[in-house]
Amino acid sequence: MKRDRMPYIPPAERATPDLDSGKYLLMWQGPQHPGITGNMSLRLVIEGDTVVDCETHVGYLHRGFEKLMERRSWMQNFPLVCRIAVPEPDFNEYCYAAALEELSGIQIPEKAVWLRTFSLELMRLASYLMWIGGQAGSFGHGTIIQWSATMRDYVLDLFEELTGGRIYHMYIIPGGVRGDVPAGYFKHVLEVMDTVQKNLDDIELVMYHNAVFKLRAEGLGYIPPDWIDRYGITGPNARAAGIKRDLRKDLGYLAYPQLEFQPVVGSKSDAFERARLRLQEMYQCIDLIRQCIDLMPKEGPFRAKTPNPLYWKVPAGETYVAAECTRGEYGFYVVSDGSEKPRRVAVRGPSYTHAVSVMERLVRGVNIADVAGLMVSLHTYPPEIER
Amino acid sequence: MDIKDFIAPFAVWKRAFEKPFTVKKPIDERPGAPRYRGFHINDAQKCIGCGTCEAICMNKAIDLVPAAGYAAKEGDSGLRPRVDYGRCCWCALCVDVCPSGSLGMSNEYVWIDSDPEVFRYTPGVEAKPWDGSPLGYRRAEGYRLLEEQRVEMPELDYKEAVQTFLELVRGYSRQQAEKEADRCVSCGVCIASCPAHMDIPGYINAVREGDMQNGLRLLYETNPFPEACGRICTHRCEEACAIGTGGDPVAIRWLKRYIADQVELADYGKVLPRAEADSGKKIAVVGAGPGGLSAAYYLALLGHSVTVFEKDSEAGGMLRYGIPEYRLPYPALDKDIGYIESLGVKIERGTAVGSAVALAELRSRFDAVYLSTGLPAAYSLEVPGDKHPRVLDGVAVLAAATRGEPLGLGKRVAVVGGGNVAMDAARTALRNGAAVDILYRRRKEDMPADPDEIREAIAEGASLVEKAIPLEVRDAAGAIAGKQALFVWNEARMVQKEDGKRPVPEAIPGAVHEDPYDSIIAAIGQGPDLSFIGEADRLELRRFKPVVDGFGRIAEAAAGAAAEPGAPASASPSKAAAVFAGGDLVNDRKDAISAIADGHHAAQGIDRWLDRKGS
Amino acid sequence: MNELAERLARRYDAEGWHEQRKDLASISIPALRVRDVLAWLRDEEGYKHLSFITAIDNIERGVFTLTYTVRNHDTKHSLMVHADIIRENPVVDSVHLLWEQAWTYQRELKEWFGIDCPGSPRKDEEFVLEGWDQLPMMRRDFDSLAYSNATYAERPGRVTHDPAAYMKAQLYPEADQ
Repeated sequence: MKRDRMPYIPPAERATPDLDSGKYLLMWQGPQHPGITGNMSLRLVIEGDTVVDCETHVGYLHRGFEKLMERRSWMQNFPLVCRIAVPEPDFNEYCYAAALEELSGIQIPEKAVWLRTFSLELMRLASYLMWIGGQAGSFGHGTIIQWSATMRDYVLDLFEELTGGRIYHMYIIPGGVRGDVPAGYFKHVLEVMDTVQKNLDDIELVMYHNAVFKLRAEGLGYIPPDWIDRYGITGPNARAAGIKRDLRKDLGYLAYPQLEFQPVVGSKSDAFERARLRLQEMYQCIDLIRQCIDLMPKEGPFRAKTPNPLYWKVPAGETYVAAECTRGEYGFYVVSDGSEKPRRVAVRGPSYTHAVSVMERLVRGVNIADVAGLMVSLHTYPPEIER
Repeated sequence: MDIKDFIAPFAVWKRAFEKPFTVKKPIDERPGAPRYRGFHINDAQKCIGCGTCEAICMNKAIDLVPAAGYAAKEGDSGLRPRVDYGRCCWCALCVDVCPSGSLGMSNEYVWIDSDPEVFRYTPGVEAKPWDGSPLGYRRAEGYRLLEEQRVEMPELDYKEAVQTFLELVRGYSRQQAEKEADRCVSCGVCIASCPAHMDIPGYINAVREGDMQNGLRLLYETNPFPEACGRICTHRCEEACAIGTGGDPVAIRWLKRYIADQVELADYGKVLPRAEADSGKKIAVVGAGPGGLSAAYYLALLGHSVTVFEKDSEAGGMLRYGIPEYRLPYPALDKDIGYIESLGVKIERGTAVGSAVALAELRSRFDAVYLSTGLPAAYSLEVPGDKHPRVLDGVAVLAAATRGEPLGLGKRVAVVGGGNVAMDAARTALRNGAAVDILYRRRKEDMPADPDEIREAIAEGASLVEKAIPLEVRDAAGAIAGKQALFVWNEARMVQKEDGKRPVPEAIPGAVHEDPYDSIIAAIGQGPDLSFIGEADRLELRRFKPVVDGFGRIAEAAAGAAAEPGAPASASPSKAAAVFAGGDLVNDRKDAISAIADGHHAAQGIDRWLDRKGS
Repeated sequence: MNELAERLARRYDAEGWHEQRKDLASISIPALRVRDVLAWLRDEEGYKHLSFITAIDNIERGVFTLTYTVRNHDTKHSLMVHADIIRENPVVDSVHLLWEQAWTYQRELKEWFGIDCPGSPRKDEEFVLEGWDQLPMMRRDFDSLAYSNATYAERPGRVTHDPAAYMKAQLYPEADQ
């Protein structure tokens, strides 16, 4: 298909507007960021200022990771996987490392388990801070992102201090993590957590007790509970519909069974409910980070021995390792044929359904001005669709 | 919707009076965190150019390039990594994997230039403002991607070992060997240090893959004594090992032994090459040590008919008579020699050239002669009384032990010297129930013996007396005269006489010791015995060493025009066959692997020589 | 869980049940039964959630192995259902009526592997590649390095040396004679 041709709209269950009638307007939203989501585009058919049809188009962030990984050794893929989801790279590192360890029969030390849990929660917080700015911004609230981006930068400072990188941390390496925490680090973390928490209080006051935000978000993008399984919806999008599912609880990976928390569940299942739920999860992140710091063993090795990275052969087999990221079920399906390179790595990103099938359905009947807000309320990242 | 939803948003105004979060770049500096992964730094002195960084880099951002001021030498390729920041993804796996730990990253992240070509440089060689930065990413304490520790070699307990002549080193199991082989990064820096330039990464990879047949084939490409060298090689390769720059070097020697131990002699023929056709040429080799037999092996592979003349009753030379069986058991040596003989190499045992057969006769009967007679004559102590009957020669003691003769060393034995012969003599004496002192004129760290041997000798109970200069041997007084000797030695201190040279021992006035011993074993070196070469042979010797050319051929003293390589045989003044030489007789390294390398080299040289002569 | 394996074997000739973890297993079924098995798993066995669909190119055996990963949220168990289809004519029933997101995966299968799922909406449209005229990119016989070399220019001026070869040339070149 060439982009200069009108895309074909299949008949079943879809609007077939007669563009010649002059009643409808065809317009593209994107491929620049339609909200803080990464590059993808929505081909919208508008009637007045109401969307009557939507087709999603992805591919602007396709870099062929799954193919590239088949050409690289198991360890060489470690710095590659984080790039699949830019705002939340650590989940890629974790899923890939855990899959590799499972196939190779490697047990990681307890300290590594805790440091991984800690860094994943820190990542979740940073990712939510970016999301909340996007959510507010897409509804015209420019102030919130000024605050939340700053808070995110403070969290990224923490990552920089721990891992040496701000965006791509490359910390969760197969076998464990790449280093223990530097001296005085947790004190610094706790200070930042206090600052973030204080700012979240401000954000809650300004954004969630805001008539404009409420008017626009309430009732927007309602996901009926029976869609959850039909569409494969996971994470906060599912929990906001009252479905109590959280892989951290359900799969009990890493140190989560030892942490005290309950999945945050909503009921109204609209954009405001999802936003409210995510804010509560941000507070939960801060709590989990504090718990991690309390419970983490102070001493001990942080990495298990792994074979020579140049010649590491992973026993033949396959596994699927999933983790609860901010958007839902993030997973790596890894197949080894016993050689020095993966046979197949497939990445399951929650946006695969949230940004495509779910988005296309939800956007119908929405005011054109709310499309970006709706998309951000589903919290989508195109790169995990395209890999 | 309540009234709060209209009022609360005005709370943003309280921030109007707060200090902003932003940093005023460039007014405020914002350095990277202490672990920041910024531009690379490399300690180019420490780096050995092994290229493991290049191998791990998933972006192909690293090239190994010659660096000004760093020439290739043993244990250093002379290359240094150059980073292309057009490709680098700042993952720092190169830092994590770097065996020497020379590579790191600074915390500098700002570098602006309008010329894209500058973003490709050799850290540590091309100066950058962040060179030597103490901050930036380094491999964390306790975190290595490569295994630093060698798989421990199972050995007999020393107390048990000293009671027997059983082999001390037991050899790796398959699991241990594969684990040890997996430590190797296949950089190949070791190859240059091996006198035989064995394909070390190749055969280690064969161990890793469990392909013993390929491993054996690779070993025999350059060395027909894998069983022997897998046990007693001086393993200079391990000194050059990249992994050794940050931990224990890979146990290259033990892995070689592992391969040879795994393949039955009967299966060698299925894997190893054979001569394609008989050349019709006959070659004599003098001396069935490792050098002579190595030459014989490669000559046989080239299709020549080879006869080896050995003065002793068994083949193997110093491997058999100079190295005790607890280091190199005879069955292992017999396996190496057995395979060479299976190719049709004839070994005339107990046939000394010079007495049983003259060199001139060999030169008339054969198309070429290779001398690999080694250094059979021990140096004496060169002190008054060194002809005392209780002063013995170390090589002779070891040879007598090999032949199973009673040694009669007595209860208290002194070994004078610091080389491997001294260690072996000491350990042989220990196994014969003696208390042993090893006296050496310099310090322990100056001893030329293999560190393993020194460690083992001491562990087995020998006591080491450093800085002991022999002065005199006197007969013991009284009834034990002639049965015991007094060893007189002077305590020394090390004096730095010339800068850059190693310190020399200088006697401390008055610090003279006298100790009675049942035997004093002198093991201070050996020289050649070239008595079988006569004037008439017209072979050129200089300082008791044959003078050889690039073929390994001994120059012939001018009596008319010397035979030039390539000159027709008839032009040669002498009808006698050309004589070649190698091994300890010629080279300065004086170890088995160098003799083997010489033998291989000479075989090729002889072949080329015959080719040229014949054509 | 072995009861499920038995039921699957009895009903659908499934074989090769493999317990990877206590919460993850895999099984192979005939490709013709894909839709039946997945519908049955969804409706009768509680495997309501489709995690993902993908394929593995087992070029050596001449097949694509499809992987449908489904989860039962109540038992917290995931099942990877495999089906082999021949590489020559890779066609498999569409499951887009079972799950609303399945058509996107099937569109991906078409573009990345050339696997056709007749009836799947928009399956022949481009997914993430635009104007792609090569072999489907995830097939093992598509050589991405050769493609890259043919399509993009190397940056000039780069040269590297093998340490062993360089040392040989510098230190003992005579060994090559």
